[in-house]
Amino acid sequence: MRGVLVGALLGIAAAVLPVSGVVAQTLNFSWPANVGPLNPHAYSPSQMFAQGMVYESLVKYQADGTVAPWLATSWTASEDGKTYTFKLRDDVTFSNGDKFDAAAVVANLETVMANRKSHDWLELINQLQSVKALDDLTVELQLKEPYYPLLQELALVRPVRFLAPSQFPASGNTEEGIKAPIGTGPWKLVETRLGEHDVFERNDSYWGDKPAYEKIVVKVIADSNTRAVALETGDIDLIYGDEGPITPDTFARLKAQGYQAEISPPLGTQVIALNTNKAPTNDLAVRQAINHAIDKDMLIAAIYHGTQTRADTLFAPTAPYSNIGLRPYGYDAALAASLLDKAGWTIAPGATFRAKDGQPLQIDLAYIGTDAVMKSVAEVLQADLAKVGIEARLLGEEANSFYARQTDGNFGMIFGNTWGAPYDPHAFVSSMRVPAHADYQAQLGLADKAKIDAEIDQALTSTDETKRQTLYTDILTRLHDEAVYLPLTYSTAILVARDNVGNLSFGATQFDYPFAALKPKD
Amino acid sequence: MAGFILRRLLLLVPILLGVSILMFVIIRMAPGDPAVAYLKLSNIPPTPSAVADARHTLGLDRPILAQYASWIRNAVQGDFGISHVTRRPVIDDILHYLPATLQLAGVALVFTLLVSVPLGIWSARYKDRWPDHLVRGFAFLGVSTPSFWLGFLLVLLFSLTLKWLPPMGKGGWQHMIMPVLAVSFMSLAINARLLRASMLETASSRHVLYARLRGLTDGQVERSHILRNAMLPIVTATGMHVGELLGGTLVIESVFGWPGIGRYAVTAIYSRDFPVIQCFTLFLVTIFVICNLVVDILYAWLDPRIRLNAEAAL
Repeated sequence: MRGVLVGALLGIAAAVLPVSGVVAQTLNFSWPANVGPLNPHAYSPSQMFAQGMVYESLVKYQADGTVAPWLATSWTASEDGKTYTFKLRDDVTFSNGDKFDAAAVVANLETVMANRKSHDWLELINQLQSVKALDDLTVELQLKEPYYPLLQELALVRPVRFLAPSQFPASGNTEEGIKAPIGTGPWKLVETRLGEHDVFERNDSYWGDKPAYEKIVVKVIADSNTRAVALETGDIDLIYGDEGPITPDTFARLKAQGYQAEISPPLGTQVIALNTNKAPTNDLAVRQAINHAIDKDMLIAAIYHGTQTRADTLFAPTAPYSNIGLRPYGYDAALAASLLDKAGWTIAPGATFRAKDGQPLQIDLAYIGTDAVMKSVAEVLQADLAKVGIEARLLGEEANSFYARQTDGNFGMIFGNTWGAPYDPHAFVSSMRVPAHADYQAQLGLADKAKIDAEIDQALTSTDETKRQTLYTDILTRLHDEAVYLPLTYSTAILVARDNVGNLSFGATQFDYPFAALKPKD
Repeated sequence: MAGFILRRLLLLVPILLGVSILMFVIIRMAPGDPAVAYLKLSNIPPTPSAVADARHTLGLDRPILAQYASWIRNAVQGDFGISHVTRRPVIDDILHYLPATLQLAGVALVFTLLVSVPLGIWSARYKDRWPDHLVRGFAFLGVSTPSFWLGFLLVLLFSLTLKWLPPMGKGGWQHMIMPVLAVSFMSLAINARLLRASMLETASSRHVLYARLRGLTDGQVERSHILRNAMLPIVTATGMHVGELLGGTLVIESVFGWPGIGRYAVTAIYSRDFPVIQCFTLFLVTIFVICNLVVDILYAWLDPRIRLNAEAAL
């Protein structure tokens, strides 16, 4: 009896007294849903951040836009750009001990190719013709057409990462499900409790640098306020993500309270397309004036509480091929007004807005009416434009009508987003050639639209790096000089952590979560 | 009596049918595109062709009548379709999350009754004196406080400032205190106020006067002659509270990260997960109807006048 009592007291003491010198080995994180079955070749409900913890790809996308070796040590491309040969690392095993080899790569890519229909949003899969193992550690990928972004897209979290072939279903078709989520990555999924949490443990047989944490517990928290409270009470240690894990004002509050709070380099661009094919935005002077009229810094402070950064160009200079020294338009309302004056858009005595030859300077700005953030941004734009005499009419509609406008070009100004790394710029410029895209519609009024489209074709199929840069420089410069876009902000990922988490960093894309790099602190 | 119950249960069929049709149409008229939400969850850029594909995958490209016909055909066989979000059968998900919700709502109901009945009696006994003013003020506060707001205030006080209670999740009894308080506050206030009014009304009726004339003590009168008669409205209200408490968990479960069907349904609403919204709505309607039925049966059992009238009418 006494033993029990002493034991109980010691237990209580251990639970209550802080033990100095011992550093927590578990990182508590949260996510709005369970991580799902973690099938590397499938989408929702498998959560991308978790697929990225368990599975790895042949190559890795880096923050500077280049692609580095990962499960492949090196690769070569044929002269015609249609055959890529990858050499694989030979020290890699799956977390269940199976060997990672060329056969595993082939098995995975073949099941993905067999389900092309599910992945046809991704050009890489459309281009993949065949895959074969040349020897145990050499794989050859055959493409239908030369497609240089192959490497960027091979770095994606899905659907081109590798499941241990022993975990395929009997049919060999992973679309029907998998036995268990066994990958080569630094983490293993060890427990899932529906609606409560998922637990990852460090993969101790990992081939690369092993994570510092032993365990990551991902708690299911759907509400962003609850998530912020959980951080404050220590129920979670880290908030991280790009899709508003907490609201911008909560981010600002936690930062002011002294938590470690940072925002990532640009991930994608929030941009307004200006219709060159529709009056009055078919006038270059009007488009330039719009670009000068918006006070983006104020917009970021007022609406995003500093959680996004100012965008001066369609793609951030950190995106591949995009660091080409374009001159920002810069906020200058006086300049905007004088551009309009020179172009003949003048304010009649007593009028609020400008007109030219009896045509009012009136532009429809389309946005999704139920999206509160988009609405506030639209209102700020409207106010800024009014200051230089441009009347923006707000068209807040439900999503279907909004997307219909993107498709048929019935807009003056419309909201849009680039796709972000690793899709920028190639996937975004690729879609500029498709009539059902707002970008195609917005560019239709340009005299050399056909030439731009031809250059995009060439850029995507060219095998010559220098030539490709020249083409991209030309395309992006044309679009910039013609002021087809009003870039607003670069979206970012945010990070808020308690003091016990160290070595904070951001992933190179919005889909990479840098858990392996985090280190516990005392 | 058995015939009465059977008739009432049969009435459930047209009610559910009507609600299901209304629901089916309303959620499709509401803004937001489930195909876009689905692509967003999958991190696939919502290009027009991707949206069209997703719409086809989710079966949303068919005429609404055809969608309803196949949905209702499966639903009557207990198959409510596959959730757009979790890609699991909706009914499996609901059955998985239901026990946690029943636990929360059950404890909240017991708590509501345990607190509201004594409060109501106390308030009636000291009519127009300070306990009555206190209870009435409390009831006023209760009906006008939104539960999620109360939830956040409780978290602010007990989790952030005092650090006494865990702010979220399911675990020991400590995890239940704040969600139960937040979700039951309104029902509790309504109940206390209702019982007070009902007791005061009964107290002024003749049989109470005669009981007092017979020389019974205040306690005896209150227990046997006022309270028993005054309980009838409380039974009705309690039947409604079961539904209210279950509905209240919608908000409270999200605030407290409680793994029940309420949070599941809220997530479904955000992602326009039609099959889940449809199934959850029918589920709530069924609960409401059954609670009302139970209330009516209890009535007949508690009050012989109702029972005898009903039997005489047959």
